[in-house]
Amino acid sequence: MSWDRVDALLDKLSQWLNPILVKETRQALKSRQFALTFTLVLACAWIWSLFGIAMIGPGVRYAAEGLRMFNGYYVILSFAVLVIVPFGAFRSLASEREDGTYELLSVTTLRPRQIVSGKLGSAVLQMLVYFSAIAPCLGFTYMLRGVAFPVILYVMMVLLLVSLGLSMIGMLVATATREKHWQSVLSVVLILGLGYVFLMGCVLVIGPLGSGAAIPMDDTDFWIVNLGLLTGYLGYFALFYFATAAQLTFASDNRSRVLRIVMLAQQATLIGWMGWGFFQEGHIGYVAVLLTVSGLHWYVMGAFLSGESGELSRRVKRQLPQSFLGRALLTWFNPGPATGYLFAVVNLLSVYGIALLALLVGELAFSKRASSWGFGANYNQTLAVYGLLVVSYMVVYLGVGRILIGLLRKISALSMPVGVLLHLLLVLAGTGVPMTIHYMRPGIRNDYSLIEMSNPFWTLEEAGNRSTGLSPEIVVVACVVPLVAAAVLLANLPAVVAAVRQVRIAKPRRVAEEDAFVESRRASPPVPSSPFD
Amino acid sequence: MVAGHPMIEVRGLHRYFGRTRAVNDISFAVSRGQVFGFIGPNGAGKTTSMRILATLDLPTHGDAFVDGFSVIDDPDRVRRRLGFMPDYFGTYANINVREYLDFFARAYGLRGGERQRALRYVMSFTQLDTLAEKPINGLSKGMKQRLCLGRAMIHDPAVMVLDEPAAGLDPRARIQLREMIRQLAADGKAILISSHILTELAEMCDMVGIIELGRLLAVGSVDEIQRGQQAGHESQVQVRLLDAAGPLAAWLAPRPGVLHVYVEGDQLSYVHGGSRDDEAATLRAMIEAGFRVASFGHQTKTLEEVFMQVTKGHVQ
Repeated sequence: MSWDRVDALLDKLSQWLNPILVKETRQALKSRQFALTFTLVLACAWIWSLFGIAMIGPGVRYAAEGLRMFNGYYVILSFAVLVIVPFGAFRSLASEREDGTYELLSVTTLRPRQIVSGKLGSAVLQMLVYFSAIAPCLGFTYMLRGVAFPVILYVMMVLLLVSLGLSMIGMLVATATREKHWQSVLSVVLILGLGYVFLMGCVLVIGPLGSGAAIPMDDTDFWIVNLGLLTGYLGYFALFYFATAAQLTFASDNRSRVLRIVMLAQQATLIGWMGWGFFQEGHIGYVAVLLTVSGLHWYVMGAFLSGESGELSRRVKRQLPQSFLGRALLTWFNPGPATGYLFAVVNLLSVYGIALLALLVGELAFSKRASSWGFGANYNQTLAVYGLLVVSYMVVYLGVGRILIGLLRKISALSMPVGVLLHLLLVLAGTGVPMTIHYMRPGIRNDYSLIEMSNPFWTLEEAGNRSTGLSPEIVVVACVVPLVAAAVLLANLPAVVAAVRQVRIAKPRRVAEEDAFVESRRASPPVPSSPFD
Repeated sequence: MVAGHPMIEVRGLHRYFGRTRAVNDISFAVSRGQVFGFIGPNGAGKTTSMRILATLDLPTHGDAFVDGFSVIDDPDRVRRRLGFMPDYFGTYANINVREYLDFFARAYGLRGGERQRALRYVMSFTQLDTLAEKPINGLSKGMKQRLCLGRAMIHDPAVMVLDEPAAGLDPRARIQLREMIRQLAADGKAILISSHILTELAEMCDMVGIIELGRLLAVGSVDEIQRGQQAGHESQVQVRLLDAAGPLAAWLAPRPGVLHVYVEGDQLSYVHGGSRDDEAATLRAMIEAGFRVASFGHQTKTLEEVFMQVTKGHVQ
């Protein structure tokens, strides 16, 4: 087979690949930066091999020194895949936006998800090249003994996943702003962050392995924890992926729906894992973790959702649900601050409902079990109040923030990041002001008082930390804060009702015509092109 | 493509950047096979309008349509039909001409034979086939402009928006580009083009729109705009005689409909306030009166003169 035929075959196969991946691979193969980095990784690995063997000396024939060599290779590889590749992914997208080539991409028919997938695919390809460059060295460490093959495989898999996650974060950061000065600031922050992750990776891998701590490969719990971490990782990876794509999607499209679905999936996963742990171990701690993590999750997500634009585009209005059931269930997936706020609130309330149910089940099923922990009237009551306060604080802070954002938008345009910043400032004020007053009083006292009512952190710490029962202050707070939350929720309801009352609009005639044409082409049978067809 | 609606339609478009009204209520339409020239000083709002049409920016008010699809609500459908050539190259490093065009062909969803045919056609049309393996960074400005035109037309769009495509080109390259644009229009594409080189536009545009301070001051053919600038039905007529022009000036001055008469050597021009029929009658009478008329016609202004007359030179 001649090279031309091979080339033609490869070209034919490549048409099923992402265009960005094809382009970036072509570019990378000719790029000096990639050649230099790859050569450096190879050179470092060779130098380390020679240096390591020289250090081990004659012991290389009998001593199990594979771990020492492995540590060196890990440092070289992890620098490439934890720093260079994710920063390359960031620069790849950021430079498209800086050089104006992103505009040329966005006027093509490439979908934003294809752009993100292509860039990510290119990062994965680079990772694989680095991994393959180091692979013979890793084989060499295994042959030197001292490090088991499953351990090498496990560490490499974790490294690959972390690198992929960091590349995804790099790309999300690249879409955060178009301003050059902010891009510069973000690139410095990102590189510092990547450097930190690289160093932490070295500490976490080299430290325990070097001190002889074995990875408990035979332990089922170890793999269950890994599976739990993997599902969490996948949830956040999907969230960042869709958030990056949403940042690149044109403004009139529904950029929020898929993100809300992912948030919901993350919540379901957390409930699933906590429920599994709860029923396996009969441990009330799972309920507390569920409430705390969910509260934090929905506050952060709600801060972003309530910063969305309040205007529904005509394009989104064309897709609004029309039936009663559709409007009741699907309105919350439409973009907008009001639907976003209620989406977060309803989800956290559902979690609270599940937590109360779990407490009840725990009381009935596990309280008599010898291995059970924590179930009893006092702690159940404490956790119920704790959950109520988690929900209430979230309702209050997100609700007030949403109202403030709405008011400020009447004066001037307010972007989503500014909205998130406003939420953050609100919580900081609610926490910082009472704490300042508290500590300005004569005689520093560390006991909780009602001045701290607006401080969610101290209040929740105080409410959740008393297995013996609730303090009088917390009882008062538990009465006042939910009432305030109800008032804030009511104040937000008009905006929510307005969002629900949006009705679907008809497709423009031209769009309907084209859709009908496409549909008719799909419906019509293929026309035979020859008598043999 | 559906007959009955213009390929480009801009309706009451506004775009504000803070207090600056970059585009302020502009409306125009471009049909199939028409070349529409967008003329205006720097900062007039040409590029902003074109970016909105290319779905790269959103209007503050108003809407624009490409083949009947709104650039706000259906940018995905607009992008399939539109080829955009911005006023910058937007090229990639470490890539050659063929790979660059191939990438955009893939990005527009062209596959297999269709992609190969599109590549061959575009490279032949832009005369880049001999440079297929040349790295983009090594191309001259004129070649890069051709490459960018090729990129914009790789998916055979029905509408092309070209922002300053002739900027910085030498005369030969400009002429070649002009020919290419005329050819694209002859193929039925609606073309919106902006340029500072007004003589270029005058030769290739069927219609022009003059924009200043975000407002469209005049729209139409150069002739229509010129006529629009003169009060009522007035038109300037130029007459060249084989003899001296003085006696004709004396003969013309008292005739009805003739407003001003100017004489320059054997040339004479006069402002006529009547209809075309009156003009024809005047010419007939002139010949019958024994004047030896060598030429008779409307004095046309160049696009530059019209532009200078319409615009005030304001910037924001």
